[in-house]
Amino acid sequence: MTTAVQPGGGGELDRPSGSGLADVIDTILDKGLVIDAYVRVSLVGIEVLTIDARIVVASVETYLQFAEAVNRLDLTETKEKGLPEMMKGLQEGGAESKTKGVLDAAGDKLREFADSDDSDEEERRPSRRRRREES
Amino acid sequence: MPATQETRRPEKRVGCYVYGILPHDVELTPDSRGIGDRDVSLVRHGQIAALVSEVPLDSPLGTPEDLAAHQRLLDAAAVAAPVLPIKFGAVLANADDVAEELLAANHDEFRDALNQMEGRVEYLLKARYVERTILGEILSENSEAARLREEIRGEAEETSRDAKIRLGEMINEGIAAKRAADTREAVEILAPYSVATNEREPTHREDAAHVAFLVETEKAGRFEEAAADLVRTWRGRADVRLLGPLAPYDFVVTSGGGG
Repeated sequence: MTTAVQPGGGGELDRPSGSGLADVIDTILDKGLVIDAYVRVSLVGIEVLTIDARIVVASVETYLQFAEAVNRLDLTETKEKGLPEMMKGLQEGGAESKTKGVLDAAGDKLREFADSDDSDEEERRPSRRRRREES
Repeated sequence: MPATQETRRPEKRVGCYVYGILPHDVELTPDSRGIGDRDVSLVRHGQIAALVSEVPLDSPLGTPEDLAAHQRLLDAAAVAAPVLPIKFGAVLANADDVAEELLAANHDEFRDALNQMEGRVEYLLKARYVERTILGEILSENSEAARLREEIRGEAEETSRDAKIRLGEMINEGIAAKRAADTREAVEILAPYSVATNEREPTHREDAAHVAFLVETEKAGRFEEAAADLVRTWRGRADVRLLGPLAPYDFVVTSGGGG
């Protein structure tokens, strides 16, 4: 056995060599064989500081965080872009966006999201469209 | 966990920390370090062995360094030999007890489980949505959410709290639905290169997928290629990380009985 083996190259994968604490916590505090099931008599009690990495997904706090994220999103976009630029993006992306039902839902209220604000916008459209077969 | 075995507690305030179970015929490299940078050793019985180190009993375990040491040791072992990882914090009185109570008493079950893990490692896929992308998707698909958003923008902080909660709940539901669909897609893409999958609970409100895969070492290259394809497909929408190879934390099952 060796402890010096490095993971192979992962191409474009983000492969952190050392896992972050959160990754470690939800793996080794939550998974693995439970010793109590195999040993009883000579088990030694030792205090284990546990950190619960799990979150309550459906909570008011989560909801408020999401609402705040939506609000933050607006501010970011307003700062980054002037109105003319947004309109330009709207026109460029308009035809395709309309077919996706992006614009007709709420008119120009949604202009920020129809805007081609990132250079890789085109690249990610296929995956977005594919997930939108229902619309 | 309170101390329960007062009478059997060793006079020297150290215990025998158990990391995992391995086949008996493995060798440790000298640089193998355990919790607290301690030497690790193997306690052997029959065809199996336990990877152990001493651990002081008078201070609690669980610092970030402790956790990292436990996982680092097991993950390193897993690429060289099959290993059954034990959940963090398992301490027995001494090495003799490890041999008798842990190994001898459960020998066949552990041996069979190790045989199943031969040539297999775990990979953990963790994907997190790109916030602005996913919120944009949801607001464009849910007109009520978009309407609420406009309502909140025009209102004072106090009066909009209920609306915020409603909006947040809608977004949470929207993400949950997308997470389910995207998790399914990730599993469909990667399952052909793995022998088992385990879908974990999300650990973050914007998690897109959190899935463990048990992969044959021989197919690890193809699995990683398929995962790299997924990274490209999801780029801009979700950030994907692949952790591994890891010890098979998600694929060892505590039966509590004999094998």
